[in-house]
Amino acid sequence: MKKLLFAFIAACLILPSLAGQALADDKKIEFAYVEWDSSVATINVMKAILEDELGYKMKLTSVAAAAMWQATASGDVDGFACAWLPATHADYYKAFGKKVVDLGASLNGAKIGWVVPTYVTIDSIEQVNANADKFDGKVIGIDPGAGLMRASEEAMKEYDLKDMKLLEGSDATMTAALGDAVKNNKWIIVTGWTPHWMFATWDLKYLKDPKSVFGGEESVHTIVREGFEKDHPEAAAFLKNFHWTAKEEAQVMVANRKQGSDLLENARAWLKEHPERVQEWLKGVKK
Amino acid sequence: MTDYRIPIAETVRGTIDFLSDNFAPLTKAVSSVMETLIEFLVEGLLQVHPLIIIVVVALIAWRVASRGVALFTFFGLLLIWNQNLWEPTVETLALVVFATAIAVLIGLPLGILSAIYKGVYRVVFPILDFMQTMPAFVYLIPAIPFFGLGPVSAIFSTVIFAMPPAIRLTCLGIKQVPESLTEAADAFGATKSQKLLKVQLPLAGPTIMAGVNQTIMLSLSMVVIAAMIGAGGLGSEVWKAIQRFQPGQGFAAGLGVVILAIILDRITQQVGAKNY
Repeated sequence: MKKLLFAFIAACLILPSLAGQALADDKKIEFAYVEWDSSVATINVMKAILEDELGYKMKLTSVAAAAMWQATASGDVDGFACAWLPATHADYYKAFGKKVVDLGASLNGAKIGWVVPTYVTIDSIEQVNANADKFDGKVIGIDPGAGLMRASEEAMKEYDLKDMKLLEGSDATMTAALGDAVKNNKWIIVTGWTPHWMFATWDLKYLKDPKSVFGGEESVHTIVREGFEKDHPEAAAFLKNFHWTAKEEAQVMVANRKQGSDLLENARAWLKEHPERVQEWLKGVKK
Repeated sequence: MTDYRIPIAETVRGTIDFLSDNFAPLTKAVSSVMETLIEFLVEGLLQVHPLIIIVVVALIAWRVASRGVALFTFFGLLLIWNQNLWEPTVETLALVVFATAIAVLIGLPLGILSAIYKGVYRVVFPILDFMQTMPAFVYLIPAIPFFGLGPVSAIFSTVIFAMPPAIRLTCLGIKQVPESLTEAADAFGATKSQKLLKVQLPLAGPTIMAGVNQTIMLSLSMVVIAAMIGAGGLGSEVWKAIQRFQPGQGFAAGLGVVILAIILDRITQQVGAKNY
C-alpha cells in the first residue's frame, strides 16, 4: 500500500512535467469560448488562420463565460476571444483583469440594448411603459447574470417601467421568442447585442436609450494568460493584428446558422473570399 | 437586522484564495494524472470498432440481466452510433466510470464507519444533506484553479453530488443486518473485522449496490452541468445544441444520456440482486 502511494505521488510529479514539455515543443494552444454565435464565428476564423497559416494546433473548449475568465486567469487555457468590454464583462474584468493580458479589440462598435422589430412604432425606452399592453408586459431577456441583464434591470428602474417584467432565459430562448413574434407580426422587446445574426435575419432596431443605461459602444477583446506572448510570440502577434467589422462577422454567423455545417470550414470559406484581410492580419508576423 | 452582515461571502472567497494559492500545484498535479488516465481510457475505447463494443456490452447485459435488456442495449447503442454520438458517449461513460469509482472508494468506508461509530454518523450525515442540496454551480467555477478546465473539475463536482447515496445506503445496509446474526457471530468469537467482512458486508450487499446504482444515475444527471466547464461528452452536445437553439439536436444528444442511463441502471441493479 505504501509503495502504491509512493508510485502514485511520483507519477503525479513526473507526468505533468512530461506533458508540460510536450506542450512547449509543439505549437499547441488551447482557447476557451462561449457558444455565442459571434464568439463561435470569431474563434473559428482565428483557428483557421493559426492552423493553416501559422502551423499551430488549436484546441477549442466550449464553456460558460465565468469559466472562460477563470480558466485563463489560472493559466489553465491560453485565452479566449470574446471579452465584452468595458461594460458587459465588467464584473469578470474586475475579478480577473490583473491576472490576464489584454491583446486588444478584435471588433469595435459592438453594442448592447433593447431591440424591437422595425414595425414596432415606438423609438425609445421612454415610450415602453405607455405601451406595456402591446408588449404583453414582458421584456425577453437572456441568461441571468449576464452584463446585459444587469443593465436591463437598471433600465427597468431608471425608466420606471412599472408595468413591465424582465424575463430570464438564454440567447436561444430570446431568439426563438423574437422569431415567433416576427412571424406573427407581434410587438416584442428583447435584450439584444451587436454583432448578432438576428440583425441579418430580421429587420430590427435598437430602442433609444436617452439615459444611456446601456453605456456607449462596446469592444470585443482577445484575452490571454500571463506568459502567452512569450511562449507563442507568433500567435500573439497575429491575435493582436486581428480586427474585423460587425458586418464581416455577421457574414460568417449567417453561414454558421445552416444546420450541420462545419464551423471551421465556414471560416475557411470566408477567408478564401477575403485574402486581403488574411494578409493584413499576418503583416509583421514572423513565419 | 442587516446592519451587520455575517461575512460568509468574504470568508469563503478568502478561503478559496488561500487554498488555491497554497494547494493548487498539488491538486493540479493530481488532476493532470487523472486527465491522462481518462484520456487513456477514452482513446483506448475509441480504438475498438463501435460494433465490437456494442456486441460485447449487449452480451454482458444478457448474461447479467436479461434478454430484454440485452436487446435494448444493442439497439440503443446502435442508435447512438447512428446519430454520430459515439465519441461523446464514450467520453461521458469514462466520466461516469471515474466519478463512480471515486465516489465508491470514499463512500464505502465512510458508510461502514458511520454504521459502526455513532460519532462518525453524527458528523457525516448532516454534511451529506449539504452536499446533495448545495447547487453544483456554486463550486463548479471555483474548482477551476484547482483542477483546471475539463473533465477533472467535472468529476470533482460530480463526486460531491453523487456520493451521498453510496454512503447512506452502505450505512443503512449494515444497520439493517438482523441483530440475531451479529450476535451469533459474536457468540462464535468473531473479531470485529471478521464480523464485518463475513457477516455484515455480504448481507448488506444488495443495499450497497443500490447505493452504487444511485451514484451512477446521479453522475449521469450531472453531465450537462459539467459541460459548462468543458467536460465534453454528451452533456457538451446537449448544452451546445441548446445554446445554439437546435432543439432537435439537443433532444438527440439527451436521448443518448437516457439510453446510457438505462443500460447502466439495469446492469448494475442485476449485479446487486444476483451476487448475493
